[in-house]
Amino acid sequence: MSFDSYWDAVDDELGRLPARPVLEPVPSRTTEDYTFYDVWLTSAGPYRIFGYLSVPSGPGPFPALLETPRYGSVNQVPHHNERLRYVVFAVTHRGQRRADTPFAAAYPGLYTHGIESPESYVYRGIVADCLRGAEFLLSQSEIDRAGVIGDDLALITAARRPGFTALRVADPLFYRVLDRRPEELADHLGAHPSAGVQETLSYFDPVRHAPKVGATTLLAADDESWYEPLTSALPDAVVYPLTHEDAADNNGLDAWLAGRLGVEPMTRFVP
Amino acid sequence: MRVPEAATIEVPRPADFDEFWAESLAACPELEPSFEYAPGLSTDTVAVYDVRYTSYQGVRVAAWYTTPRDGAAPFPGLVTIPGYISEPDVPRHWSELGYAALAVAPRGKLRSNAVFNPGYPGLLTHNIVDHHTYGYRGFYLDVVRAVDVLLDRSEVDATRIGLQGSSQGGGLGITTAALRPETIACVSAGAPYLCGIMAATRLTHSYPYEEITEYLRMHPDHAPLVAETVSYYDGINFAPKVRAPVMIYLGMEDDVCPPETGFAVHRALPGEHPLHTYPRCGHHAGLPRVMTVVEEFLAEHLKPGVKA
Repeated sequence: MSFDSYWDAVDDELGRLPARPVLEPVPSRTTEDYTFYDVWLTSAGPYRIFGYLSVPSGPGPFPALLETPRYGSVNQVPHHNERLRYVVFAVTHRGQRRADTPFAAAYPGLYTHGIESPESYVYRGIVADCLRGAEFLLSQSEIDRAGVIGDDLALITAARRPGFTALRVADPLFYRVLDRRPEELADHLGAHPSAGVQETLSYFDPVRHAPKVGATTLLAADDESWYEPLTSALPDAVVYPLTHEDAADNNGLDAWLAGRLGVEPMTRFVP
Repeated sequence: MRVPEAATIEVPRPADFDEFWAESLAACPELEPSFEYAPGLSTDTVAVYDVRYTSYQGVRVAAWYTTPRDGAAPFPGLVTIPGYISEPDVPRHWSELGYAALAVAPRGKLRSNAVFNPGYPGLLTHNIVDHHTYGYRGFYLDVVRAVDVLLDRSEVDATRIGLQGSSQGGGLGITTAALRPETIACVSAGAPYLCGIMAATRLTHSYPYEEITEYLRMHPDHAPLVAETVSYYDGINFAPKVRAPVMIYLGMEDDVCPPETGFAVHRALPGEHPLHTYPRCGHHAGLPRVMTVVEEFLAEHLKPGVKA
C-alpha cells in the first residue's frame, strides 16, 4: 500500500465514525480562571479514547493547544500555566491509563506491538487518536488559532490536519529509528528479524510527513546536524538548541509558542 | 525572589512515627520470590529475569532483575526506584557496569496493579486522610522488600547494596535507607519527591503535588488530617535514621519538587553528604550529565567489578 493510501484510509475510517464526545466537568481541577473536563471520544477501531480539556474563563476567543501523548503509560494533566492561557486538550491514546480498556499497553512492549505489518502496527491507531483529538479541539467554538506540541505524533497531526499555526516538536520517536535502534526495537529485531519492520516504520517516518506541515515549526534539538534531513523537509522550521538545562529550555520553548499564539510567556518555577 | 537554600521547611514528626513503621515492617509477609528468565530481554552480556515477590497485605509486586554474565559473583546489588508516572526500565545498563540490579514496580505500577490501582493522578491522595490506610504505605514497603529480595540472592554481596532513583525514586531511596539502616550502603537521590510535602504544595502548581491542592479544593476541612497523614511519609522525618552516604542532586528551578524541599532533606540527614546543585535546571536536576556523577558515586561505595 502506498504511503498516501495508507494514511488516507485512516482518515476515511475516522470520517465514517462519529466522535460522540462526552465531557464531564471536574470540579477539583476547576478554578475561577478555567473550567476543566474529562473527555471521551470515539477513534478508529472503533476505540474509545480519553483526554483532558481545560477552557479559560471569560468571553474568548482563546488560542488552542493540543498536547499529543508522551511515550509511557501516563500522560500529564495539562499544567496550570497552559490552562490559564489556552483552550488546552491533552490526548490519551489507546492503551494508556484511562484509555486502557480493552487494550492495556505494556512498557516495554508498546513500541513494537503489531510492528510486523503497517496494518497491524499499534501506532496506526495511536496516530488516529491524535487526529481525532485535533478534530475535537479545532471544533471548539471558543478558539481562534491553534498550536500542537509533542513528539512526532504532533508533527504527523499537524501534517494531516491543517488548522494549526504553530508546531513544537521534541524527541521524535520514529526519526532515523533504524540508525539509533532504541532498546525496545533492538530487542524485537533480535528476537524477530523481519524485513516488515522497516517497511512498517517507514509509514511513520516524520521526514515523509514533514512536507505537508503548514504550521511554523520549532524543533528542539541538541544536535542540529542529526536533524538536518527533518528540518530540510519541513516548509517553515527553526531549531531550538537544547542546553539540557531543562528549566531554561522549557522557558525558551514556552516563549516561542506563546509568541506564535499571542499570549504571554510563563515559567513553571514560581518566582 | 526565592532563595531555596535559605528556606525553612519544617515537618512535625509524629510521636509514634518509629512504632508505626516498625509495625508496618513487621506486618510484611514472607517474600516468596519467583525468578523467571526472560530470554527476549537478555543479551550476550546481561541476564534478565522477571521477578515477583509478596509484600505488605499480600500484594504481589513485580520487578526486573538483571545480572552480569561476565565477572565473578558476588556482585554489588542496586535497587532502582521509578518516578511517579514512569514504569521501571529493565536495568541492563547497571548490570553492564557490574551490578546485580533490581528495578522495582511498586504496587499500582502496570505490572503490579492487579489489586491496587489508584491511578496517576491518584496515588498521592489515595486514602490520604488516614496514615494507616494511605496508599503509599504499601508502596513504601514494596521498595523495602525489594532490598530484601536482593539480600536473598547468593550472587549479591549483602554488604554492598545501594539505592538509586530520581524524583519519587530519590525520595524513596531516602525512606528505604532509613527503614533498612544496617543494610543500605549508599543512596543516589535526584530531585527527591515526598520531602516537605505540605510545603511543596504551596511552592508549585505542578503535579504530583497539585493533586493535594485539588483534593483540598474539594475537602478543605480535611487539611489537618492530610497534614497528619503525610507527616508519617515525609522524607524529612525519615532522614535522621539514615546511616548510609546519600548523594543528592537538585535542579535549582525545579517546579515539580521544589529545591527548598531538597535542601531541607539534605540538612535533615545526619553527617556529611554530597550535594550537587544545577542552576537553570528543573526536575531533570542536571540530567543527562549528572549521570556520570551518579555512576561515580555508586562505584565509589559499591565497587562493581571488585570481589568482596
